[in-house]
Amino acid sequence: MYLYLPVALTSINVLIPVGLGLVVGLLSGLFGVGGGFLMTPLLIMLGIPSTVAAATDSNQIVAASTSGTYAHWRVGNVDFKMGFYLLVGGFTGGLFGVQAIKVLNAMGNADFVIKMTYVFMLGIVGIYMFIESLGSMKKKQQEMVAPAKESHMARFLKSLPFQTHFEKSGVSHSTLVPIFFGGLVGILAAIMGVGGGFLMVPVMVYILRMPMHVVVGTSLFQILFNCIEVTFLQSYTNHSVDFILAVLLLLGSTLGAQVGAVFGRKLKGEQLKIILAVIVLVVTVKIVFDLTLSPSLLLAQGGGH
Amino acid sequence: MSVTILKSGLKRNIFLGVAFMVLILAAAGNASAKLTATANHDHIKIDFFYHGSSVSVRGISDPGIDLVMKITSPEGHQELRKKGKLAGFLWMNVGKLTFENAPKFYAIHSTKKLEDILSREEMETYGLGYPALEKHVEISPVGSEDEKADWFNQFVKFKEASKLYSVSSGKINMTEQGGKQNYYVLLEWPYQALPDNYTITVYAVKDKKVVETAETHVLVEQVGMVKSLAGMAKNNGAFYGIISILAALGAGFGVGMVFRKGGGAH
Repeated sequence: MYLYLPVALTSINVLIPVGLGLVVGLLSGLFGVGGGFLMTPLLIMLGIPSTVAAATDSNQIVAASTSGTYAHWRVGNVDFKMGFYLLVGGFTGGLFGVQAIKVLNAMGNADFVIKMTYVFMLGIVGIYMFIESLGSMKKKQQEMVAPAKESHMARFLKSLPFQTHFEKSGVSHSTLVPIFFGGLVGILAAIMGVGGGFLMVPVMVYILRMPMHVVVGTSLFQILFNCIEVTFLQSYTNHSVDFILAVLLLLGSTLGAQVGAVFGRKLKGEQLKIILAVIVLVVTVKIVFDLTLSPSLLLAQGGGH
Repeated sequence: MSVTILKSGLKRNIFLGVAFMVLILAAAGNASAKLTATANHDHIKIDFFYHGSSVSVRGISDPGIDLVMKITSPEGHQELRKKGKLAGFLWMNVGKLTFENAPKFYAIHSTKKLEDILSREEMETYGLGYPALEKHVEISPVGSEDEKADWFNQFVKFKEASKLYSVSSGKINMTEQGGKQNYYVLLEWPYQALPDNYTITVYAVKDKKVVETAETHVLVEQVGMVKSLAGMAKNNGAFYGIISILAALGAGFGVGMVFRKGGGAH
């Protein structure tokens, strides 16, 4: 069955967005990412204008992350306190990021900087997570107890003021730490035009030292608020949210997020990390191909930044 | 900027003047032959289940005459992003191109290939075929005529990919009956064609010249919920955004609740 999308101004087979939503929602519930890096290009491929694709995806993520946060909260895997500080940083960072885009546009090579940042960030995060989780999986097999080594970074973080304990995550940090790194992810996410879940998850795992299952729930919690903000701004300023498309996507993604959350509980933290690393690397390779292979069309619909 | 607007305005006036004179001449000199064109479906309504439509155009012409049918939306200004190579191997958006006097939709159907039945001048006068359209459309910024030609070809390729431009021949059915020629063509109306007022012009062609024209219109518009949703998104963005967010939150919680119950029974 086909439905006409009133803002995207195109007709689509309803099974496609529902199916897409299911897959991306599954990833969301499993790994605590929004899945925009997967969803937005796929929607564009289906003939949805790029600005509508990005804005509608954020609307859909509101539903998927609500569903996912709820599922993780029920088993006590959302650290609201940590999520709040990350959000404070993220909102502030987002404001700086938007300004950074204006500067880049004025300089005239925005697309180059954005694409390169994206490829490098994805690549570095993917490779690091892959190697690290592979290493810790091997260690576990050898039943070796890893000595808790205090890195320079960890010692520096401990020396900061405003130390506080995060009960759910079982870690202590200065409140400045989640605010600062939340801000950093916020800036990058705004520049790259994505939600930043794939950056936030490694920050929480490796810098904030949170347990993987709490990371997924907390990440979804903060993605929820980011996407509410983006959806509102996109509807208000660009009029680019397609409500019907969003409903079709969220039919799949809310369900997928629940299934993902249940599935995730059965997997170990290292297994989750390594699968996410592989997905991030596959996306990186795909983008590199897109950048280097000759495109079939040299013109595209205008709009966006 | 104002000079180009003036120029294109002037061009259009001359074009209209010429077309009008041809119409008068055709009517005066050839009163017996009356070319007609009627669309069976002149108001296409876009509702939720719209997936394109089909429009049949039929009419009468003199016998032994070739026909060309042009379907266009009003001309206007379009802005597209262009891709180019950076550092020798990276394909990226490298700027924007604006296309002036270009219709968003352009389709040609003819009884035989355009080049075989019309002279180049006539094709240009009436804007028939891609080469004629290329002369008419202004692209900026381009450095040379060659560059313009390249980007115009890319433009056609882009439009053809979304079914908005097409040129084809041989689809018009013709039957002779009582000294007249009945023609009939079934047009597949693509769902990608945006709401607009489309003009269908039929040109009767003889001895490489257009001898008569007839015109009909097809209005494509959104109706019902599609129209109200599109209108709300455009005119009431804040409210629309809040509704979208609340619906998403509700759906997320709703599915969460359903799963909790399911999980409890498990």
